[in-house]
Amino acid sequence: MLFTMFLLFLVYLAFLAILASQGAGPTVMIAFISIFMLIQYFFSDRLVLMSMGAKIVSESEEPQLHQMISRLCAMADLPKPKIAVVNTPMPNAFATGRNPGNAVVAVTTGIRSQLNQAELEAVLAHELTHVKNRDVMVMTIASFLSTVAFYIVRYSLYFGGAGSDRQKGSVWVAFFASVVVWIASSLLIRALSRYREYAADRGSAVITGQPSNLASALMKISGVMPRIPKEDLRKAEGMNAFFIIPAISGSSIMNLLSTHPPTEKRIAALQRIERELETA
Amino acid sequence: MRFKILDSILGKSELPTAKLDRLFAMSTASITMEANLGLSPDGTAGICFKPIESSKYEAARSEIQELLSYSARETGTKYRVEQDEYRFLWVVLEDPHFDDLVANVHLVSTTMVEHGFGERLLCAVYRFRGKEGPVFWIYSFKGGAYYPFAPAGGQNRDNSLEFRLRSVMEPELPIEKDVEKWYPLWGIPL
Repeated sequence: MLFTMFLLFLVYLAFLAILASQGAGPTVMIAFISIFMLIQYFFSDRLVLMSMGAKIVSESEEPQLHQMISRLCAMADLPKPKIAVVNTPMPNAFATGRNPGNAVVAVTTGIRSQLNQAELEAVLAHELTHVKNRDVMVMTIASFLSTVAFYIVRYSLYFGGAGSDRQKGSVWVAFFASVVVWIASSLLIRALSRYREYAADRGSAVITGQPSNLASALMKISGVMPRIPKEDLRKAEGMNAFFIIPAISGSSIMNLLSTHPPTEKRIAALQRIERELETA
Repeated sequence: MRFKILDSILGKSELPTAKLDRLFAMSTASITMEANLGLSPDGTAGICFKPIESSKYEAARSEIQELLSYSARETGTKYRVEQDEYRFLWVVLEDPHFDDLVANVHLVSTTMVEHGFGERLLCAVYRFRGKEGPVFWIYSFKGGAYYPFAPAGGQNRDNSLEFRLRSVMEPELPIEKDVEKWYPLWGIPL
């Protein structure tokens, strides 16, 4: 999902650069940014599903998944989202769609085979909380504001400073100011995203009533939990000689999760919720 | 409603509380059901909830068991606790007297609410004998309303029967208006 967003962002920056080089004014630029954001907002679900190769599954195709989500929705009094499955061994799950009425919750075949039922349910409750919290909307607005801020800084410095005969220096000031704004805002957006993740973890704990299920799911998919080997020791002994580094999968998913807080911190937060539940 | 949206945008999570006030409506509605629809109570009902990881929950659970065994002596209601394939717990009640079933469903759910576990309640289910098999009336604690569920073999449901039940029962029974919330419950242990 992040890779798609990154590509979208690149296309969008390239377009803006072309516009700017054609001498478009700040109003035109902001109008274009808004149009892009609206497109992203309204079509994000389809774009994400397409880029992930997710397939919407009906109730007869995936009765268990549907029943699990129906019950969680009934517990939390949420409209039931569409459900999609991505055929990849990489363990992951995501939610998309601009509002709860248009939401899609997707899981990979990898996460389904790695997690047990209780853990899968906790992950689904996490994604449903993203839907309930309208995280797609919140993050779209946040990135819209930061992009607008970036252009305002850029244009005000570019046109405001030196009057009619522009000095070369002011161009550089404008450039650096916009870079600073961009870095600051992207750090803030990442912080916001991490906050939304904690909120979704908490939501999952509240809906399932069992924070430890999400904790163990997170450990499994992030590869924190050492994998218990399945093959016989005598067989593995011979194979290991050929490996320089033991094959550990899960590291590639961590890159995707970089806007997420570290798993250890999320698990610590879940343990605090568990204590709260115990003492409430 | 406005505040609810604001809360979710701020990322606050709380489960909606259980609404028990309209649970009793089934008591009188069952008479109409029998007279006008030919649906007679099957003598079984159940309450479905999601257990929580907490020692307080254990306390609530043992009190419910105590109350039920007391009530079983009074009304002759049989009960058992069962876990379904989605790890939800069911208190299954059996009694030929429909009013005793309704009273015990109410007893279990109020005890849960008193112990602060109201939001863990998923639904209460009454089983009826239809012409073509069992028909269930499901009370959603979150919506505070009933909806019909008529399984028709496999993962299919008899929607036309469900709509007929709605139109006949609507004057007497609070029925969930949003049909998207008429969630099926496959494998009900009743």
